[in-house]
Amino acid sequence: MLLFKTALQSLIGNGLKTWLTVFVLSLAIVMIIIMQGILHGWSRQAIDDAQRWELADGQYWCGGYDPWDPFSLDSATASIPEPLARQVEQGLLEPVLITQATVYPEGRMQGVMLRGIRPGQQLLEIPTAVLRGDSMGPVPVVVGAFMARQLKVKLNDEMILRWRDKNGAFEAVDIRIAGVFKTAVPSIDNGVLWIGLENLQAMTMRQGEANILVKSEAAEVIEVEGWTFKTVDKLMEATLLLVKTKSAGTSVFYVIFLLLAMLAIFDTQTLAIFRRQREIGTMVALGMTRGQVVKHFTIEGSLYALLAIVVGAVWGTPLIWYLSAVGISFPMEAAEFGVPMADVMYAAVTPGLVLGTVLFVFVVTAIVSYLPARKIATMNPTEAIRGKIL
Amino acid sequence: MIQKFVILMLATTSLLPAQNFPAGKSILEKVDQNMSARTRISVSRMEITMARGSRTIEAKSWSEGDKNAFTEYLAPAREKGTKMLKTDRQLWIYSPATDRVIQISGHMLRQSVMGSDLSYEDMMNDTPLLEQYSAIVDAAETIGGRSCWVVTLTALAPDVSYHQQKMWIDQERNVPLKIEMYARGGKLLKKIELSDVKRVQGRWFPMSMLYKDMLKKGEGTRMTFLDLQLDTALPAGIFTKASLK
Amino acid sequence: MIRFLFKGLLRDKSRSLLPVIVVAVGVMMTVFLHAYLEGILNDSIEESARLSSGHVKITTLGYHENSSQRPNEYAVTAVDRLLEALKHDFPDLQWSERILFGGLLDAPDGEGYTRSQGNVAGAGIRLIGSDEEIERMDLRARLFAGRFPEHRGEVLISNELFKKMKLRLGDEVTLISSSMYGDMAMYNFTVCGTLHFGIAALDKGMVYADIEDVRNALYMDDAAGEILGFFPGNYDEKRALQLQEAFAPDGSGDEFSLVLTPMSKASGMDFLILYSRYAGFIIIFIFVFAMSIVLWNAGLLGGLRRYGEFGLRLAIGESKREAYGSLVGEAVLIGLVGSVAGTAIGLVFAYLMQEFGLNAGDMIKDSTLMLPTVFRAQITPMTYVIGFIPGVLSTVIGAMLAGIGIYKRQTAQLFKELT
Repeated sequence: MLLFKTALQSLIGNGLKTWLTVFVLSLAIVMIIIMQGILHGWSRQAIDDAQRWELADGQYWCGGYDPWDPFSLDSATASIPEPLARQVEQGLLEPVLITQATVYPEGRMQGVMLRGIRPGQQLLEIPTAVLRGDSMGPVPVVVGAFMARQLKVKLNDEMILRWRDKNGAFEAVDIRIAGVFKTAVPSIDNGVLWIGLENLQAMTMRQGEANILVKSEAAEVIEVEGWTFKTVDKLMEATLLLVKTKSAGTSVFYVIFLLLAMLAIFDTQTLAIFRRQREIGTMVALGMTRGQVVKHFTIEGSLYALLAIVVGAVWGTPLIWYLSAVGISFPMEAAEFGVPMADVMYAAVTPGLVLGTVLFVFVVTAIVSYLPARKIATMNPTEAIRGKIL
Repeated sequence: MIQKFVILMLATTSLLPAQNFPAGKSILEKVDQNMSARTRISVSRMEITMARGSRTIEAKSWSEGDKNAFTEYLAPAREKGTKMLKTDRQLWIYSPATDRVIQISGHMLRQSVMGSDLSYEDMMNDTPLLEQYSAIVDAAETIGGRSCWVVTLTALAPDVSYHQQKMWIDQERNVPLKIEMYARGGKLLKKIELSDVKRVQGRWFPMSMLYKDMLKKGEGTRMTFLDLQLDTALPAGIFTKASLK
Repeated sequence: MIRFLFKGLLRDKSRSLLPVIVVAVGVMMTVFLHAYLEGILNDSIEESARLSSGHVKITTLGYHENSSQRPNEYAVTAVDRLLEALKHDFPDLQWSERILFGGLLDAPDGEGYTRSQGNVAGAGIRLIGSDEEIERMDLRARLFAGRFPEHRGEVLISNELFKKMKLRLGDEVTLISSSMYGDMAMYNFTVCGTLHFGIAALDKGMVYADIEDVRNALYMDDAAGEILGFFPGNYDEKRALQLQEAFAPDGSGDEFSLVLTPMSKASGMDFLILYSRYAGFIIIFIFVFAMSIVLWNAGLLGGLRRYGEFGLRLAIGESKREAYGSLVGEAVLIGLVGSVAGTAIGLVFAYLMQEFGLNAGDMIKDSTLMLPTVFRAQITPMTYVIGFIPGVLSTVIGAMLAGIGIYKRQTAQLFKELT
């Protein structure tokens, strides 16, 4: 305790120089926390967005449904079997029916994926309520902002939609863009047209059928023949791996920032020991063992970390809070980005992340403080008092 | 009393037109009789308007009944020697450059033939109209100076590509002069205009047809018969895969 | 004077060595961080450029407007002449012609009839006689089996499709696609190798063939869907916008008139470019700021501990101004020597990181990561100078602040601090 007190005193007595080192160290700590937080926030947001817009709590896939093979769609649809059908009725599952179609905005021909969803659904954030429409007039559809740009259409624009029903017969109707939504999930935007489920089932003569069932958290997973349940983790595998891979590269930043702080500590420590040889000599002469002196200096160095944690908490907490709550916004159309990423990025900082970082920095600081202090052990106290050693 | 009678007469007349027109079925039968030959050998030219200007394709075809057809492309140079065989529900294509016979199936059938407004499926769809559609004559109109019955065909089965068709059939020659194809919801999808009706071996035949995808901007595709022989003997074994190579 | 100071520094190791080492280490870290940051932030952008968007892309207006459909009917024609003109007008740019196409791949049975089929998305790029595109698209790392095309008519296909179609290397396959004129086009290829991308959309059915083969196959003689242009270094938005201006459409709306699209205008890239610039600037700014404080502090400490010496010097008749001048002069020397040394060492590390990189696969133990992701540094002109900001400036400012004490204190007091 005495060691701690004297160490703290000599540190604070050093004034500006100490505070500069402390500030740099706090900067390193806060930066490492923020950088990790943003990356963590990114991957959490990717999952979060995907869950809110597309996956909810996982999906049942019908038979050989393959999102990458549009030609498999027709054979990968079936009536919803009983135990699942009850969950659909209770709103625990949202069925999605998918079919290929062609739209003709202004006489241009473009292939699209038509996805049917219940207008009343609450599970996904797609603004499906406008799909109810009335029985008269063009059929309402909603599209993502990216798709709207691809088709060169705006809200309330009308165009012709042509598709083939279950039996291969051609069918065409006028449709109206009843809603445009902005999402960071490209797979429900790019090339996709959302339409009322019952409409699409009637249009394709696939009453009661679906390709996908989106599961809500409240629903129990049931084993049903012909349908495979895919968890969110499974469905997000590729995206998460990508995020993980990209994050790996940033760990080099942490190392460099940490090295920067350690350079400051090392420099300060070395100079302190150099300048305070007489003090060291005196301490030994007064009866402290060399080990105790080394300890004194190590503690003094480690105290930088403690002070830095306090200082970092003072200025870093509001900053981290701001980044977590308000986020960093980008004035862009983010859905165009191939990887799910929202145009507001939030840092996701957990207590574990803060504690881990702080603890790690503390340990490293202690080690770096100890290294120059080791020299003291080899000092001859009489010469040290005269300041003739280093 | 007389007044009442007149009103009744008028009312009945207005209900009557269907009786004044011939039965749709009989009209279609006549069309079939006129146009369906046992075999057919033709040389045709197709003009396709594309972004890069128009192109002309010439082909010689042999067909037998509704099921079998064999086509060999004659021009342009890069299509020359390409052969196509259709038997029942299968389509095969041979290209001399690759010396390969490729089966076209599934979604490939829905692709356009040589960039035209026709899909392979359109070309394959050959079931006699009467097997697929019920027919009602609902008007008489004149096209290009020819009196036509306007026949509305409604699909009998759900697996017919076009739910409804409207045909303008020359009353005298039993040849369609215009065909419109509709979706179930009533939207006009395709239109074919047939013209240049000539007498070929005692039958009336439209020698020129203009196909148009009505949803798409564009000029459409014109097909013209340069030569047509009906009910002639076909080379033996022409409808086998072996004849492709 | 400088020589005198220099000698002093050389002879008094305690006065020179530690400060120089601290400056050098700090500068080295700054230089390395800068290069690494440039490397990984530009990596995503440059990867997209190399794989699909180019730094700039020349297409016809019609192709540009329907680019999601790969409309080869709107291909650029008379490509040879165009390339010649481009090379003449913009000699520092590299140009790469590519054709993207969709189609069906068909494998024959023993008699030449269809055995299996698969949908493909393909690209015709220069593969034979030049490694340029192979390097650019990092195809070597993606080659799973076999080899790259060496002869005409050879094709690379994605491994997943290869397995699905039950093919073997050396098998003949036929591509069915549509030509530039909308005809059905068929062309035979021999499978010479397979690729693995680690991206589902590509692994399901990607084929790469030499562009001359694809031209033959699709009747696209002397034509290309798109011509990508690459700057000598990283993407340069200003330059790209200038080029766009030079290619501005004449307003006639002619679908075959040429347009040049900077990659920032390609879908999705604007975000990535903005994000990278933003993140890069903030990180480097904070780091240089922090490093400046460290080196400033080091300069300050270095100056403070010599108050005694200055007392002596003032006592023997040196003017305060001279003493201050020599302190600052020394700091400039320390800063310069340290910065030069630090920049040199930093560049060596950055260069190693640029050449060999850091393999993500080693960092995250994940067997599903088949595609090697290597993080590389990238040395840019800025890398050479950035270290001098904290290195020289901060050291000197630190010394200048410390030196103020010389003026503030009495000679006797300074002298007392001499040990």
